[in-house]
Amino acid sequence: MRRHWGIIGLVVALGLGIFSGQVAKPEPVHAAEKTYTIAMDTTFPPFEFADKNNKRVGIDIDLIEAIAKAEGFKVQLKATSFNGAVQELQANQVDGVMAGMSITPERKKVFAFSDPYYQSGVVMAVRKNGNITKLSQLRGKRVAVKTGTASADYANSIKKKYGFKTITFDDSNNVYQDVISGNSAACFEDKPVMQYAIATGLGLKLGNMKMAMANDYGIAVSKAEPALVKKINAGLKKVRKSGEYNKIVEKYLGNGSQADTDKKAKETNDSSSTFFGLLKSNRGALMAGLGETVQLTIVGILFATLVGILVGLLGVVPNKLAQGIATTFIYIFRGLPLMVLALFIYTGVPMVIGTKIPAFVAGIITLTLNEGAYTAAFVKGGIGAVDVGQMEAARSLGLPWTKAMRRVILPQGLKIMVPSFINQFIITLKDTSILSILGLMELTQTGKIIIARNMEGFKIWTMVALIYLIIITLLTWLSNWVQRRIQA
Amino acid sequence: MTTRIEMKNVVKKYGTNTVVRGVDLKVEDGEVVAMIGPSGAGKSTVLRMMNGLETTTSGEILIDGIDIAKPHVDIDKVRAKIGMVFQHFNLFPNMSVLGNVTLAPTELGMMTKDEADKEGRRMLDSVGLADKVDAMPSTLSGGQKQRVAIARALTMHPDMMLFDEPTSALDPEMVGDVLGVMRKLAKQGMTMVVVTHEMGFAKEVADRVVFFEGGEIQESGTPEQVFEHPKNERLQSFLQKVLEA
Ligand SMILES: Nc1ncnc2c1ncn2[C@@H]1O[C@H](COP(=O)(O)OP(=O)(O)O)[C@@H](O)[C@H]1O
Ligand SMILES: [Mg+2]
Repeated sequence: MRRHWGIIGLVVALGLGIFSGQVAKPEPVHAAEKTYTIAMDTTFPPFEFADKNNKRVGIDIDLIEAIAKAEGFKVQLKATSFNGAVQELQANQVDGVMAGMSITPERKKVFAFSDPYYQSGVVMAVRKNGNITKLSQLRGKRVAVKTGTASADYANSIKKKYGFKTITFDDSNNVYQDVISGNSAACFEDKPVMQYAIATGLGLKLGNMKMAMANDYGIAVSKAEPALVKKINAGLKKVRKSGEYNKIVEKYLGNGSQADTDKKAKETNDSSSTFFGLLKSNRGALMAGLGETVQLTIVGILFATLVGILVGLLGVVPNKLAQGIATTFIYIFRGLPLMVLALFIYTGVPMVIGTKIPAFVAGIITLTLNEGAYTAAFVKGGIGAVDVGQMEAARSLGLPWTKAMRRVILPQGLKIMVPSFINQFIITLKDTSILSILGLMELTQTGKIIIARNMEGFKIWTMVALIYLIIITLLTWLSNWVQRRIQA
Repeated sequence: MTTRIEMKNVVKKYGTNTVVRGVDLKVEDGEVVAMIGPSGAGKSTVLRMMNGLETTTSGEILIDGIDIAKPHVDIDKVRAKIGMVFQHFNLFPNMSVLGNVTLAPTELGMMTKDEADKEGRRMLDSVGLADKVDAMPSTLSGGQKQRVAIARALTMHPDMMLFDEPTSALDPEMVGDVLGVMRKLAKQGMTMVVVTHEMGFAKEVADRVVFFEGGEIQESGTPEQVFEHPKNERLQSFLQKVLEA
């Protein structure tokens, strides 16, 4: 028996090791320099986007780094969705959000804002070769906007007057594609964003409408960090004065000439758009994403299996309370959609407990609870499937319940459970893709970001799908090999 | 003579359904008691209450003077002294024949691995299965399985043995082997309670035969009294049916 506990101990230690390695990523922080985490959108060119080397670039990124340098603090940037960023700031998971965010009275109630760093406004864009160009032509049509943006507010404020309906998307890319495909007649978007997108070859053009809702972009900061607002404002002043601000804006929006904008666009696009060309140029990013997926999977499986077995055993202990706990655990965490659970843990729980939960840890907790509940259910079921006569025979020999369970029932139950375990491992691997909602740069999120840049949805998703299939095949082989060892 | 098992006014209810209605029964040391009666009479329930596999609703069950129906009784200790043989053998399929036989004495620290192996082999030899020591249970015939189950119980050196229809699941040609082993045990003076449909065996081996019906003991006596001069009407019709079959 001692031998078995030794193995379990080793597994736990290993798991905790990987876990803590993630939590306490050693970062050489200069003692005097404080590091702030700033959340950003993934797709909001020219403010933030990935260049052709999948390096994240943009006005926001260069500007905050320049400000940080001027004021002597450090920033850690985190790419998520606009909504995700806002929620994370509300949950104090990050210190600030810089995502081309307009300063509005509503947002000012919740967040502190820096001084404005860019003036924008809402414009309309329509299909390049379509015949709709004016607001008055939108009656009865559909208009695409991005969730929670000033453009969406504007669209909603005039939709009665012009008689159109709105559809919302989480990513700019989806907004544009909806117009290009003709599903929506137009979209509303921040002017610099739209200009940049059109100039880099998107099949849209500006509609015939004056810039509306002139508004200022600001950096949203947690109200608990007034010092950060001060630093940002001071840094912004310095950067403006030194001329660095203008350099940054020009770097992305150019001097206004077509030739210059085209040049910028070329820098962001992949050199080859064939399948293998794209594979080659995005290999690094995809492999990094795969690495994160594999890490999430292994640690997730480890903890989910551990918790699942413990809860499953609790469910067969001849004790009403223990069984009740197990049943409730299974009921709740098997019943909750994985995405809801992930968001609850990542952006809900920190509001109550008051500390940040790193995305990786939140992801592992999510997998542990959800996959653990499924595991517990089949562990409980597997034990229940062992003939009751086995327990009776063991007990009638004088063996206590725990010994009978360990020596007689569990070995038989485990054999019944092996296929379920293999199945659950594969499901866990696939479910890690849902954790992309937390902004984790795993394989799916990596795919989203690459596509946001190069619009090659078909080819990139094919690559992502193939990678998943390859590792699922490997995992299945490994599991079958283990199964043969166990059942031999 | 010491009393091994004593049941006093034992009642068992499943919900509102009373399946054992105030049973009084004594088994003396070295005695062989056969329990007969129609299906559903409550024989298995009574037998299983003797080692606590079923709880009692009311009444006392004394095993060597200890009331096992009371809380805080170390039931595992009591069970270690009572061997039980089931209709469907209930061998552990995940271990060899010898593994089945040696599991309990080693796990309970009664014997070292070597001692248990030696004792297990001796017991398997005594039931005629010396050559099956390393076989897996799934490769055995029904009769062989049941003899392993008996050897498994005997390796614990029990003071008494309970049998619940040990030959009912066997092909007819296997029944003799198992009854032979039980006959030998009885001769060696083992205290035994046997639920059985084998009237011949009951007649020949039992010291006392107890007839159950409707959760009650209807009649009890020597095999001669019960089989040759049944007084109870239900016993008479039961015997008639059994002998006709
Ligand atoms: N677990 C149980 N729940 C409810 N009723 C039961 C249970 N076990 C046995 N019974 C009932 O108790 C009665 C006696 O059963 P049993 O002792 O198995 O009879 P026998 O062994 O004489 O055939 C039967 O009517 C049976 O249906
Ligand atoms: Mg029965």
